[in-house]
Amino acid sequence: MKLYPLLLATILPSIALAAPLPSYELQIRDGHFSPASLQVAAGQRFKIIVHNLGQGPVEFESTPLRIEKVLSPGVSSFVVIHPLKPGSYGFFDEFHPELPPGVIEAR
Amino acid sequence: MEQALLIVWRESVEALLVIGILFAWLRQQPGRRHAMAYLWGGVGLGLLLAGLLAGLMALAGNWMNGPAGEWFQAGLSLVASLLILQMACWMARHGGQLRQQLQRDAGAALQQGRLLSLSLLVALAVAREGSETVIFLYGASASANPSSLALGALLGLLLGLACFALLQAGSRFIAWRQFFLISEWLLILLGGALLISALDRASAQWMALELPEQLYNLIGTPLWDSSVLLDDGSRVGTLLASLTGYRAMPSTLQALLLGGYWLLAWRLLRKPAPVLCSSLA
Repeated sequence: MKLYPLLLATILPSIALAAPLPSYELQIRDGHFSPASLQVAAGQRFKIIVHNLGQGPVEFESTPLRIEKVLSPGVSSFVVIHPLKPGSYGFFDEFHPELPPGVIEAR
Repeated sequence: MEQALLIVWRESVEALLVIGILFAWLRQQPGRRHAMAYLWGGVGLGLLLAGLLAGLMALAGNWMNGPAGEWFQAGLSLVASLLILQMACWMARHGGQLRQQLQRDAGAALQQGRLLSLSLLVALAVAREGSETVIFLYGASASANPSSLALGALLGLLLGLACFALLQAGSRFIAWRQFFLISEWLLILLGGALLISALDRASAQWMALELPEQLYNLIGTPLWDSSVLLDDGSRVGTLLASLTGYRAMPSTLQALLLGGYWLLAWRLLRKPAPVLCSSLA
């Protein structure tokens, strides 16, 4: 019980001061990513808003980015990615494994 | 066609591993006919659930990808990973014994409650990956040549069944004790992978909130980077990640949770102390 106000005191300021997360749009059309490459700031959380604009379902997946999302046609969703170290991180559509992967460049 | 073959095969590997190991183990148990009914019942229930989940993703895609759906999917993985721990513990107590000993002890091993968790585990394993296969095939059938798609899916399933047969053959050729030692640990690795997959879904939800920075370090910041040795974004790395929970850049929480799971499994399996195990199994 004593901890509760303390917990609130730690959480509340961060809610109040929170700036909106940098966010990026990503379209998937039957396994093709647009844009195929996203530049993001390293060391900072960010949001990717994905839209499946294709005819069929896609599975937006990346182990290093810790994403696994099945999206039916017409569905939009978002993922928030943890702060990345500088480098490039691939993602792909598991339902179209023959197509080139997309990439996130963290700088 | 190759695409359908690969996807159906890969999506079925996890479930077939669980079914195959449990099948090989149950075959050695007294009163197995009764138990096998639970195993196949679990498979049937899993197929039904796979269809339902696929329907949910198709009809309520926005809900399934929203917080409620993500927590629901994380919950499925978490329950499956705990059931694997329980099952492996149960096997460790009864699997390594000789048949004659088992028969003297008949009835003790295969109790109703345990058989229900066996059914549930099999159902979850089939449903999780099965639903993705259903969605893939449904989507592909609209665009691809249906007969070539069906052929690919059939071949993928046959390849999966061949793996199942290989596992059963292995249980005959390799010494009984060794086979169960290996298969118990294969199950534990898979259980760890399910746990990490549940954690990833949960942490993606936490990432979207505004929590104190220290928490984000715990669930986000990599503890080490072994991507030079094995990149988890590569094809082999991704497969290994889905079967063992391997991550090239694990967060502190991922490493702690997986390490803790293995340690708990090791304690439960190495020394199946009646107290520890009976509380679980």
